[in-house]
Amino acid sequence: MIQVFQIVILGLALGGVYALMSSGMTLIFGVMRIVNLAHSAFIVMAAYLAFWLFKAINLDPTLSMAITMPVMFLIGMAYYRILFASRADNPRFVDITVLITFATGLIIEGGLAFIFTGIYRTTTPEYAKTSYTFGPFFIPQSQLYALIISIVLIVGLWLFLRYTRIGNAIRATMQNRNAAQVVGVNVRWISTLSFGIGLAMAGAAGSLLSFVFTFYPAKHVAWIGMILCLVVLGGMGSLVGALVSSFLLATAASFVSFYLGATWAPITFYLALFLILLFRPQGLFGKKVEG
Amino acid sequence: MGTLIIDNVVAGYGSGPNILKGLSLTVESCQAYCIIGPNGAGKSTLIKVIAGLLKPREGKITFKGEVISGLRADQVLQRGLSYVPSDRSLFPDMTVKENLRMGGYILRDGRLVNRRIDELFTMFPILKEKSSQMARTLSGGQQQLASIARALVLKPEMIMLDEPSLGLSPKVAQQIFSTITDLRKNGMTILLVEQNARKGLQNADVGVVLDLGTNSFERPASEVLSDPRIQELYLGKRREPLATEDQE
Amino acid sequence: MSDISPVNSNEHGAMIKTEKNSPLKPFIIPVLISMLFVVWKYVLSANGILKSPPWMEQWGEAMLILGLGLWFLFLLTPYITRFSKVNKWVKGGLPLLILAVFLVIPLIQIKTGTLNYWLYMLTICFMYIIWSSSWNIIGGYAGYISLGHTVFIAIGAYFAGMIFVFWRISPFITAPVAGIVAMVSGLLFGLIALRTRGSTFIISTIALVLLVAEILDNWKLTGGVNGLAMPMISLEGEIAKIPFYYYMLVIMVLCVLMTYFIQHSKFGLGLRAISQDEIKAEVAGIPTRQYKILAFGLSGMFIGMSGAIYGYSLTYLRPSIFLTVAIGTGIVLNTILGGKGTVSGPVIGAAIMLAVNEFVVSKLGATELNIVVTGLILMLVLLFFPEGIVGSLRNKGTLPTFLDWD
Repeated sequence: MIQVFQIVILGLALGGVYALMSSGMTLIFGVMRIVNLAHSAFIVMAAYLAFWLFKAINLDPTLSMAITMPVMFLIGMAYYRILFASRADNPRFVDITVLITFATGLIIEGGLAFIFTGIYRTTTPEYAKTSYTFGPFFIPQSQLYALIISIVLIVGLWLFLRYTRIGNAIRATMQNRNAAQVVGVNVRWISTLSFGIGLAMAGAAGSLLSFVFTFYPAKHVAWIGMILCLVVLGGMGSLVGALVSSFLLATAASFVSFYLGATWAPITFYLALFLILLFRPQGLFGKKVEG
Repeated sequence: MGTLIIDNVVAGYGSGPNILKGLSLTVESCQAYCIIGPNGAGKSTLIKVIAGLLKPREGKITFKGEVISGLRADQVLQRGLSYVPSDRSLFPDMTVKENLRMGGYILRDGRLVNRRIDELFTMFPILKEKSSQMARTLSGGQQQLASIARALVLKPEMIMLDEPSLGLSPKVAQQIFSTITDLRKNGMTILLVEQNARKGLQNADVGVVLDLGTNSFERPASEVLSDPRIQELYLGKRREPLATEDQE
Repeated sequence: MSDISPVNSNEHGAMIKTEKNSPLKPFIIPVLISMLFVVWKYVLSANGILKSPPWMEQWGEAMLILGLGLWFLFLLTPYITRFSKVNKWVKGGLPLLILAVFLVIPLIQIKTGTLNYWLYMLTICFMYIIWSSSWNIIGGYAGYISLGHTVFIAIGAYFAGMIFVFWRISPFITAPVAGIVAMVSGLLFGLIALRTRGSTFIISTIALVLLVAEILDNWKLTGGVNGLAMPMISLEGEIAKIPFYYYMLVIMVLCVLMTYFIQHSKFGLGLRAISQDEIKAEVAGIPTRQYKILAFGLSGMFIGMSGAIYGYSLTYLRPSIFLTVAIGTGIVLNTILGGKGTVSGPVIGAAIMLAVNEFVVSKLGATELNIVVTGLILMLVLLFFPEGIVGSLRNKGTLPTFLDWD
């Protein structure tokens, strides 16, 4: 029984970071109907940035969020503005955007490999080496921090969307783009902003990831698969959905990892994706209407 | 001195053909205009151009003496021209109150918006009752009322409605039209596009027939209603004269 | 379309002015940049001013040759087209001629043994063509982008490979069966995944390829990460490649013929309707679900067959050979570059990209930047050339007849 709880704890600990990783992607899809296949590549980019800051000026990776988030925010806004803003009215938008973001992911991967080579990296702050124990259970300190920070950020984002004027504008654009225009929302600007926020979340995730996992340029491929499953399972566009599905699947994967071996764990995500597509394609919290 | 002057407007979507082909129209203030016409004639396109959602390719639109063609939607809203799109267009996962608050989006003053919302709740008690329910749970007629109320938050001088009776039962549609008539009595200028030509004209002062991208007809509504050509083309010819307006 | 403008040249056929939407415009930039590099290298640094770094020398030269070569090709195209339109026998004749050459090459190899490299390159080329043409059925005709098509290669390779290892039946015999297995897998997968629209479908193909990779990596039966070893074919070194060459050639011809027939059939018309507007197609009475599933299944068949042969030629199977992002992207890029939705597009696209790839690798070596280049080319094609080569040429009216197989 103790073992079961321990497995659950380890699962929940990771679920927080996964949720942070998926939150940006689901926001971007919700507002602009863009499937950002480069999202995990941007996360890895941010992780490398955190790594470089750690190596260069010994900056604590958690604190590096103060840099990675604004940097990724600006990159996100520029990226959207340059590539997508003017194409939003094109009827073949969906196909083209997916492939463009896919190509972007490759370019980022290659660029990172060129600069940093393919050696596995990780940042090693002090807290990455210890675990907290309480009673018969333990949780790695790094994962606990990551969990807390992730939840704080996601709740913060949710509050922002709920209670600020701009947040409401973003929600409105997600729910009915035309009506948002009608009440005077500048949907193009809101879209650009949302992409920036989405990538800012990716930036935070990258900083946290840097000490929770090891990473290398090609790792983004494995993570995009996972993030996609989480986003589809939760319902594309739903922040709550991303949170719930992340915790659910992380815990499930934790069990799979324990009983079948760590190499089988990723399969949990893919199986969950196909199951949800079979029975409830719009995800747990998604809407039936397709964008 | 008209409130809204549309001068020889040419417009279309994307790189497609011209839908409006040199349309001119003057909307006098405090009057209700109803635009009727066949599908594809450009009725919805016209409203979108006026509202700032579509840029005209040629021509000019003036509102209260100021040129508004080419302005963005929020800029048009600022000048006192509101738009109620067809198909209600509420935000389905926001409450009625949040929807109304979005109506006041371009006003930065939250308290002012709240005051206006309270006034609207007095005007539409059913909305007050449903104020914290999700918009998608409302009935068709209630959604349409909410849509209109949302457009009224800014206290516009003129309001444009695109097919307000779409998908509504005759009784509910009549309620909507009564609301519109009340607004007009209180001094608002109304521009209406209606597929249900008869109902629309019965509730308007002036009828405008839009065909092939230009207006072919602009008369007092009652004249338009009783014109035999209009009857044949758009209203469906009647063998016997009209009994009451409630017959459908 | 009011923006189509014919290529202008004065009587001397000299300077070509670029119109606003001319396809020449994107080429100007790389050519200019590479000219800058060459100037830097040969003029400035040769005279001691500003030494240029070695990578820039290689890149500048490569870009220059590549850019100029492509630009030149585009310039020549109207003349080629005119020639082909005037001489009607070119349309059928040229492809048949090339096919005849393909058939003859191995015979020359047997005689002289000098064409080993060409045998190898052509076999790979045929395989890429098979992959791109097949992908075109679901990605181009039906408009459903699949980013996981490499699973079919793996399915074919592992199926034939495992049968070979356990029961000693040669993949040359089992390849067609491998193709059927791949097709059936495609049908089954389509049943699940094709209930969803656009973006969700793409996601499910990504999940599929990652899932299959995980399974193959972990399953003891398939040898896990260490892979599956197979016995080598028993033929002399110089002619060892020939059976693979002919087999691949046959599969390629069959595959392209299949796409040709689909394009000209009611099925193909239905698929095109689905790609334009699925709802309207459904309303018009087209059985969209069945068509889509069938398209997906067919798109896997020949890929599976080629996978069986390819795997055999490698004699060693590991998931990481087939199930890479690079190959998956390559397939998509080839088809889009050539022109998705056309019959000849994938053929041209695959051939060109293979040539470009070989050239770049020979000049610059196989570095991580290769993946950047692939990504960049894909992005450029998507932004400026979404119709692909065949599509753009057709829009301008300068498509040579021997490429017009639609």
